[in-house]
Amino acid sequence: MKQMGFYFDQTRCIGCYTCVLACKDWNDLPVGVNWRKVKVIEDGIFPELFLAYLSIACNHCVNPPCIKACPVEAITKRESDGIVIVNSKKCVGKKECDAICLKVCPWDIPEFRDDDNSKMEKCNFCFDRLEQGKQTICVEACPMYALDVAPLEELQKKNGDIHEAEGFNYYEKVRPSIIFKPKFKKQKY
Amino acid sequence: MLHGITPHALMLNQIGGYTRMWGAASYEGALFASMATYGTLMTGNAREDLLNSKFIIMWGWNPANTIWDPGTSLWLARAREKGIKILAIDPIFTDSAATLAHQWIPIRPGTDTAMLLAMAYVIITENLHDKSFIEKYTVGFEQFKEYIIGNEDENPKTPEWAEKITSVPTETIINLAREYATTKPATLIAGWGPARTMFGEQYSRAANILCTITGNIGINGGYASGFMRAYYSRERIITGGRKKTGPINLEDKKPKKPRVQDNLVDLNAPPRKDSLYKLRGGTNPANTRIHSNDYYNAMLNGRKGGYPADIKMAYIVATNRLNQYANVNKGIKALKSLDFIVVYEQFMTPTAQLADIVLPVNTFMERNDIAVPWLGSPYYIYLNKAIDSLYESKSDLEICKELSKKLGIKNNLLDLSEDELLRMFTAPRKDIKNYNKMKRDGYFKVKVEEPFVAFKEQIKDLENNPFPTLSGKIEIFCEHIAEKNNPLMPPIPKYLTHEEHYDSPKAKKFPLQLLTPHNKRRTHSTLSNIPWLEEVETHAVWINSVDALKRNINNGDIVDVFNDRGRIRIPAKVTERIIPGTVCIYQGAWYNPDKSGVDLGGCANVLTNDSYSPGGAFPLNSSLVEIELTPKNKIEVFK
Repeated sequence: MKQMGFYFDQTRCIGCYTCVLACKDWNDLPVGVNWRKVKVIEDGIFPELFLAYLSIACNHCVNPPCIKACPVEAITKRESDGIVIVNSKKCVGKKECDAICLKVCPWDIPEFRDDDNSKMEKCNFCFDRLEQGKQTICVEACPMYALDVAPLEELQKKNGDIHEAEGFNYYEKVRPSIIFKPKFKKQKY
Repeated sequence: MLHGITPHALMLNQIGGYTRMWGAASYEGALFASMATYGTLMTGNAREDLLNSKFIIMWGWNPANTIWDPGTSLWLARAREKGIKILAIDPIFTDSAATLAHQWIPIRPGTDTAMLLAMAYVIITENLHDKSFIEKYTVGFEQFKEYIIGNEDENPKTPEWAEKITSVPTETIINLAREYATTKPATLIAGWGPARTMFGEQYSRAANILCTITGNIGINGGYASGFMRAYYSRERIITGGRKKTGPINLEDKKPKKPRVQDNLVDLNAPPRKDSLYKLRGGTNPANTRIHSNDYYNAMLNGRKGGYPADIKMAYIVATNRLNQYANVNKGIKALKSLDFIVVYEQFMTPTAQLADIVLPVNTFMERNDIAVPWLGSPYYIYLNKAIDSLYESKSDLEICKELSKKLGIKNNLLDLSEDELLRMFTAPRKDIKNYNKMKRDGYFKVKVEEPFVAFKEQIKDLENNPFPTLSGKIEIFCEHIAEKNNPLMPPIPKYLTHEEHYDSPKAKKFPLQLLTPHNKRRTHSTLSNIPWLEEVETHAVWINSVDALKRNINNGDIVDVFNDRGRIRIPAKVTERIIPGTVCIYQGAWYNPDKSGVDLGGCANVLTNDSYSPGGAFPLNSSLVEIELTPKNKIEVFK
């Protein structure tokens, strides 16, 4: 089985949020629901400062804790490419199960709308676009070419195998399908 | 662009013309400096040339947020990845400083000229300047040197002198000056923001001259700064700098016979006092006598106040004028004093709310047009209409066509169709080889032999390719300015202070310097009303933790930011990313007053300085304010 994955060059990211907006546009998401997020990491005291951005979505983990946690098996991992999909017909809603998938996700990825018992939603790796031979919308939108998607092995061959970045912790048990060119606080890049 | 103001100028000019403004808020200081120093706005290098540099200084320049043509940030990232050192000088730890540069030097706003002059002091006194370049290509170095070393005013512009003004340590200034002067080629990119201050043109002039005395002009990997256009797409006449064009003295000219498209109001008007003669068109025609930032005064005071007209009516097209120019409260008073206001809009903007008539103009998606790259890159964009006009909206051209009929205008360019006009406008552009292909593809890329490097021809062969200035050389001392004999517009760049500077008496009452830069989540005031974009970043006033502590302000608190011009009420972002003594409200948020006139929308221009510099610079970043916690009973109103 091949596993699709993300590559994020944190040293390139200028925090423009184009990936976030492109994702919202493609998936027609309301305010407050973001399948892709940009995290701002600010540190230091004037004038010795550090700033990095972290653009992340669902990491389509090799061992997704959300799948194990879901009481109704609404979340599945596709055999063909490892993309993790949520079936909103099966999902019982955040109230019913207390949003257990969000609780077990190390990166707080699952999203819920404001309404009473909304269903979980998240990045679906633009599988519709991949089928048409296109890139995911976030990759296509990034003006800095800081994002990439491909089978994880290919990405690793091209970019190395760094699992962590500033603001992102790796968990071996979960194995998120994302690698980085990180920008760490204490590192010259 | 065909749509926007062009058809209205064509229409109004045929019924007697109209009083127009000079000066663009974005860049007037940089424009003046570029014309005075180099005689042209074509002073930039293509972005790919950044890779040929060995050292890049981003001075008050934040392309990560302000774009500066697509790909600029990407080329900077590539340059950094290639190992080229990048340094940012800015009062704010901007996205560019943080993500593109290796080093950030914070500087007190409005003092950039002092630092540049001190760098010149180090370079000149340590003999690091490029003497053969200066000898061959420039005029006026000696006068500049006299001022720098203190012979003119007994005040040498030493790094120690500059430290007190700029708050940049002496050693930092010395090191930077040495590094810039001894690393060749080096790129100094002087952004337009620091020129958006009182005497902002002095900063731009000083930066241009630093590029000059280090010999970084006309070579790959160097940079002339200036206005920084790097292709002809926005130039009216494509000269390529080949012809020497001296100043044009409008006063000596015979009156022109009006053509159908001429504006009768300023056709044969005398040039204004401080205009460089040769500024003939675009945003800075010499015979247009009301500065954009002075327009409200003109409306309020008219001929009695020395202005060229008693303005009765405002015809407001393609601008959220009230929101986007200095001193909103004065603007309301001025606009309300008029008899009649027409505004073209898609939204009920703060400006549209003052209109007697709002005409529903359509958007760029509902009409055909041609766009030129914002600054200058070798391509053009054909904007194919995507959908028919929605509801009752019409294009600018359609509106003018219908109004022209009612006004009885004959012999009218507006009788031509959209396509005919677009073809007519693009016909003189010899670089657009195939109009139909451009229309079909939606763009036209111009084939260029090599990436543009400004003044390459001049440096190779000055004899046959003089600089388009009076002297034919780079003017460190500008004779053209000297003729004006205005001590606030000196012929060599000088550090000048003013009544709203950090060290002015006014600063005792309003001790914080306000910056109003562009924000990444909108373009000026456009898109400020989009909830998706509001979500990206909360609109807030940035304040350093030191200043916040003094005022008992915590992150997220609702605060009042105020001065004599007005008061706004927004959340505070307490941050380390701004130099103490300075606060920042990103411009473009929509003015939204409560009943007492306090702006709850956070429109920065409620507070900005509505005077202007002799060279035309808009002193928007020369505004002093104070901040206080909003009283609790008033916060309820806010929510």
